[in-house]
Amino acid sequence: MATESSNGASIVTLKDVTKTFYRGKEPIHVLAGLDLDVPSGSFEALMGPSGSGKSTLLNLIAGLDRPTSGEVTVAGANLSRMSDGQLAKWRSQTIGFVFQSFNLIPVLTAAQNVELPLLLTDLGGADRKSRVATALRVVGLEDRMDHYPRQLSGGQEQRVAIARAIVNDPKIIVADEPTGDLDRKSADDVLTLMDKLNKELGKTIFMVTHDPAAAEKASVQRKLDKGALQ
Amino acid sequence: MVPVRYNIRSLLVRKVTTFATAIGIALVVFVFAAAQMLGEGVNRALANSGRTDTVIVLRKGSDAELSSTLDGERLNMLRSNSAVASSAPGGGVIGESVLVITAELADGSGGISNVLLRGMPADGMKFRPEARIVSGRAPSPGTNEVIVGKSISGRFEGIAPGKTFEVRRNRPLLVVGEFETGGTSYQSEVWGDLDTIRASVGRESVVSSARVRLTSASAFEGYRAAMEADKRLNLKVMREDDYFKKASEQTSGFLAGMGMVIAILFSIAAMIGAAITMNGAVANRTREIGTLRALGFSRLAILTSFMLEAIFLSLIGAAIGLLFVQLLALVSFPTMNFQTFSEIVIRFAATPAIMISSTIFAVAMGLLGGLAPAIRAARISPVEAMRG
Ligand SMILES: Nc1ncnc2c1ncn2[C@@H]1O[C@H](COP(=O)(O)OP(=O)(O)OP(=O)(O)O)[C@@H](O)[C@H]1O
Ligand SMILES: [Mg+2]
Repeated sequence: MATESSNGASIVTLKDVTKTFYRGKEPIHVLAGLDLDVPSGSFEALMGPSGSGKSTLLNLIAGLDRPTSGEVTVAGANLSRMSDGQLAKWRSQTIGFVFQSFNLIPVLTAAQNVELPLLLTDLGGADRKSRVATALRVVGLEDRMDHYPRQLSGGQEQRVAIARAIVNDPKIIVADEPTGDLDRKSADDVLTLMDKLNKELGKTIFMVTHDPAAAEKASVQRKLDKGALQ
Repeated sequence: MVPVRYNIRSLLVRKVTTFATAIGIALVVFVFAAAQMLGEGVNRALANSGRTDTVIVLRKGSDAELSSTLDGERLNMLRSNSAVASSAPGGGVIGESVLVITAELADGSGGISNVLLRGMPADGMKFRPEARIVSGRAPSPGTNEVIVGKSISGRFEGIAPGKTFEVRRNRPLLVVGEFETGGTSYQSEVWGDLDTIRASVGRESVVSSARVRLTSASAFEGYRAAMEADKRLNLKVMREDDYFKKASEQTSGFLAGMGMVIAILFSIAAMIGAAITMNGAVANRTREIGTLRALGFSRLAILTSFMLEAIFLSLIGAAIGLLFVQLLALVSFPTMNFQTFSEIVIRFAATPAIMISSTIFAVAMGLLGGLAPAIRAARISPVEAMRG
């Protein structure tokens, strides 16, 4: 896997971003005029009270959603102007996802879950297989290839999910409370792994967390409150 | 593409739901295939009735003997041709009068059904070498005596050996025996004297139809051309086996059509079942689908994936339905021939074409039932992946 250079240039830039949801006719202004710069190669933690808009912000950075107004530029692409289909393709090439509840497909084995993002590439079966093996080795679960998610512990599931997040060699890994469903020991394993991805593979990591211990692993801690970064 | 094994395993994981839905589809496929197998069975059963060297002559415009009339002049015309086997019984030509009466079923149910009554000249039985008396005796010419075909003997009030029934008030017909014709549709008729029977309905001077024995089967085309040439005679000349084939097509068409209607009605229920199952699958897998979308799978990939899942579901149903429908090949039963009102024995007959069309029907059900849920799945936002 290629190593990204940590040269300090911004990989994520948000300019005057607003996000408004509507509950019926009533607007909910979640983000209002938010600016953000994330340097390439950094490991950032985003904290803040529940309902402050952390997941909303993460979704914008990851190209899962579009802002109501403002510019979102990630890895050189202006996401505000991309169609649904373009965003999907862009995500598959640029973003690795780590979810709070792991989100492995229960009917697929660990290896098949990790392989999913590769099915969107032109890689042949043999290449995919070796990439899957490499990713599982990085997370220390090469011996669990053929296990189904229900045969794994929560910590192992999240490590498989991390293998899935890196198998496509994305520039950025986004994680929404990756340790929220884990016990302390598993949480620490996952955080150590994320640190390794950042330091050894040069991945930019943007992580939402409630856990101060998790935030401590990150090089930058940000706090979101009432839709504004502190 | 979302890997196909994702859909197959998702179906297998939900064993009970998948199986219940598949059974619904299987039922429809069963009915659909059975109806066509029945139609095919009718065709096979009737295609063998009738002789190739015998001709049925009707009034043009009539499809059946019942609606046809021929007068004496036309009967004479039919004889005046060298293709007629004049040494055969009746000089090779017999005119018969046919009518249908309603009779009460003898099973005490109070139901009624139709019986075909055929009045024939003295040589009528001899004209059909396959016909023979199996009990009692032949009716005496010029009397009110009749014989009843073995297939329907005893099925109706008064239409059994030794009993009498009425066609017209105070003109009872007396059953003096039973006959068989080797299983052809004639075996479901009542035969009596031509003059007695046509007098009872006031059609003394005409017959319904004529049967002509030809010197050989190959003489048919020439004979028909000759008889149909004179447009004023208004005759329709058919080979007896073709006549039965046509009758079988009507009957099999009716049965297949009935079955098709039932299958389509059932298929609506099965389709709703498939739609409910697929909708449940989509609802339960909202986060899964959101995750696939987040990973970069397109809306089209999700749509395709769930359509495939619906097709797999219907194929499981088709396989079960077609497996059970094979058992019908062991079943045979009597049914009504709607043109000649005779009973015929039907055996369900499977053909590759029927198996293929039934499978296509099942897949169509899956596609229709699965479409709305698949669209729903494709619309799921990738943001759903983030929700706990
Ligand atoms: N699709 C939506 N429609 C309407 N309101 C929404 C939607 N998504 C989020 N919200 C609202 O936006 C606000 C911010 O939500 P968000 O999920 O970003 O918060 P959060 O900081 O991640 O909270 P938590 O720590 O509980 O995960 C909340 O008030 C939420 O109800
Ligand atoms: Mg959140």
